[in-house]
Amino acid sequence: MDLSLFANPVFLVQNLVDGLSRGALYGVYAMGFTLIFGVLDILNLAHAATFMWCAFAGYLVMAVGGLPLPAGLAAAMLAGALIALLLELLAFRPLRREGADKLSSMISSIGASLILVSLAEAAFGAQTRRFPNSVLDPKPFYIGGFSGVRISRAQILILAASVVLMVGLGLFIRRTKMGKAIRAVAASQKAARLLGIDVNGVIVVTFLVAGALAGAAGILVALLTNNIVPGMGNQIELRGLAVVILGGMGNIEGAVVGGFVLGLVETFTIAYAPGGSDIKDAIAFLILFIILLVKPNGIMGRGKADRA
Amino acid sequence: MKRILFATAIAIATVCSIQAAPLPATIKIGSAESLTGDNASYGVSIRKGIELGIEEVNASKLLGSSLLSLAIYDDKADKQEGISVFNKLINDDKVSAIIGPTLSSTGFAAIPVAQKAGVPVIGTSLTAVGITAMGDYVFRDCLPQAVFVPAALAPVKAKFAPKKAAMLFESTNEYSKSEADVFKAALAKAGIELVASESYSKGDSDFRTQLSKLAAKKPDIYVFCSLIGEAIPVLQQAREIGVTQPIVGGNGFNNPNVIKNGKEAAEGLVVGAAWSLASAVPKSKSFVEAFKKKNGSDPDQFAAQGYSAVLIVAQALKDGGSADRAALRDALAKVHNVDTPLGLFSFDANRDPVCPPIALTIKDGRYQLFQ
Repeated sequence: MDLSLFANPVFLVQNLVDGLSRGALYGVYAMGFTLIFGVLDILNLAHAATFMWCAFAGYLVMAVGGLPLPAGLAAAMLAGALIALLLELLAFRPLRREGADKLSSMISSIGASLILVSLAEAAFGAQTRRFPNSVLDPKPFYIGGFSGVRISRAQILILAASVVLMVGLGLFIRRTKMGKAIRAVAASQKAARLLGIDVNGVIVVTFLVAGALAGAAGILVALLTNNIVPGMGNQIELRGLAVVILGGMGNIEGAVVGGFVLGLVETFTIAYAPGGSDIKDAIAFLILFIILLVKPNGIMGRGKADRA
Repeated sequence: MKRILFATAIAIATVCSIQAAPLPATIKIGSAESLTGDNASYGVSIRKGIELGIEEVNASKLLGSSLLSLAIYDDKADKQEGISVFNKLINDDKVSAIIGPTLSSTGFAAIPVAQKAGVPVIGTSLTAVGITAMGDYVFRDCLPQAVFVPAALAPVKAKFAPKKAAMLFESTNEYSKSEADVFKAALAKAGIELVASESYSKGDSDFRTQLSKLAAKKPDIYVFCSLIGEAIPVLQQAREIGVTQPIVGGNGFNNPNVIKNGKEAAEGLVVGAAWSLASAVPKSKSFVEAFKKKNGSDPDQFAAQGYSAVLIVAQALKDGGSADRAALRDALAKVHNVDTPLGLFSFDANRDPVCPPIALTIKDGRYQLFQ
């Protein structure tokens, strides 16, 4: 342990800022992931590939098309919704119609993921794409002078987006009629159908929302790291799954809280442990394991009936 | 009459013996390069350099009335193809020396053929460890990265007099790790203390925490050993967290994309190189001009090394006065301070190059000589 760093309050606050913004990304990504799990009880392993395609969509609109950030964000979320819709129609619904089990859906999503990544490799090549500085000024703000705590525009955007999306999605699920329908489908598709709910329609809406969330995560990660490649989903895929489990499967707020926990643990491991970068995953997953030992349903987990 | 003939014969014999065996009218130089496939850009570049070198040597009459001629074949970046090209050059074309092949992997397969047949080989792009250890007929004119990459430190030290350095590298990549080790040794040698060293893993794209940790130690210079994929975000995020100190980059930072994508963040970066368009070596300037005139484009490092190999072989032919393979090998081992675009060039005892590496900095959006 490097003791001099512990005595440095700026460094501590800096890591809080960096850790929370890193965690916010995991949270936004995991929200869409956990939503589909909560409603359909299946893991959509093509979520990471959707996320990657949305980053490219944002790149095309902003860096190639020269449009401003709001247009890029909208394009990424729209692309995400469209890809998720295609996934539902081509990869999930046919299997559901045939009454295939959950494992088949998961395999189907892995196949869809491979196709999406291959298509991106064919379309964009292996070369990394980056935003020009005109998209979002990379110069950070400083709190307490130049040697103080730094926060970039991308980080502010990510933190704000994660909270807005979490609250918005929570309200949508709890307060709207469609939200109630989604919860009904999550509780029991059969019962929902008997109540006259258009189950397939509800599932389509669920996919559209989840895809849009993947899109938001994709563009935010692209803005924070400025590193857009077809393989960018690999890094977030496993972490997203961990965050979903940590927060409680199918729990929206849990996904965000889980994201913050993982982001902070990773950042503080790198910051304070010697050779921190090499052991960050080991430490993060050890803590995840311990939390699950204490709370097997996740931090905010509840019984299955209350999911989504 | 008989006596006169005898005397003439003796005279001729004497003249011949004074001139030793004179150079033949045509001296064949062979080359195996990757001219098609993924590595064609390297091989084609080397070929252009070699062709220009041969034209110039012939025009300059360096070898008197003897002319160099080139036999070049595509090794297709393939081991088997490399072996058969080497056999063809050695047995059919009967070349005096071989320049190439393009890739170290092909070199490890094909060069033993030449070593066994006693044909000198000069690698122009074979930077792998162990190339010249294959035998006493194997030479190369490309500086290994371990030599030219940390060469950027010396001029940085002279200009900024740094006392403390901080380093970032990728712990999951052998190349980045070995580059970090090379830099560590070079820092110690330069008397610069390494106050912090941090790493990241393959696929990471957020380096702010590591960079903040380095910055907390208030280093005078930063050393980044990243591959090209991470080099740009590392650079941009370093600037974002407020790094204004000089940054010395590894070989991944010696890439036009660093300027293209890194933009302002790349300004002021220092890298070591074996050769560059910006080189101030006089022979390099005349080479760049001649190359542009002949090919209509700027030469790269590979062209410069191919061109230099021809100049080195020509000098050895002149010094040794023989196109015989064994004699040429001995003359090559002895060449001293040949005037090439790589600077004054010699071989060391291991037939590895001795020539000055250069330090470049990014200024006004292009690589310029660091001064």
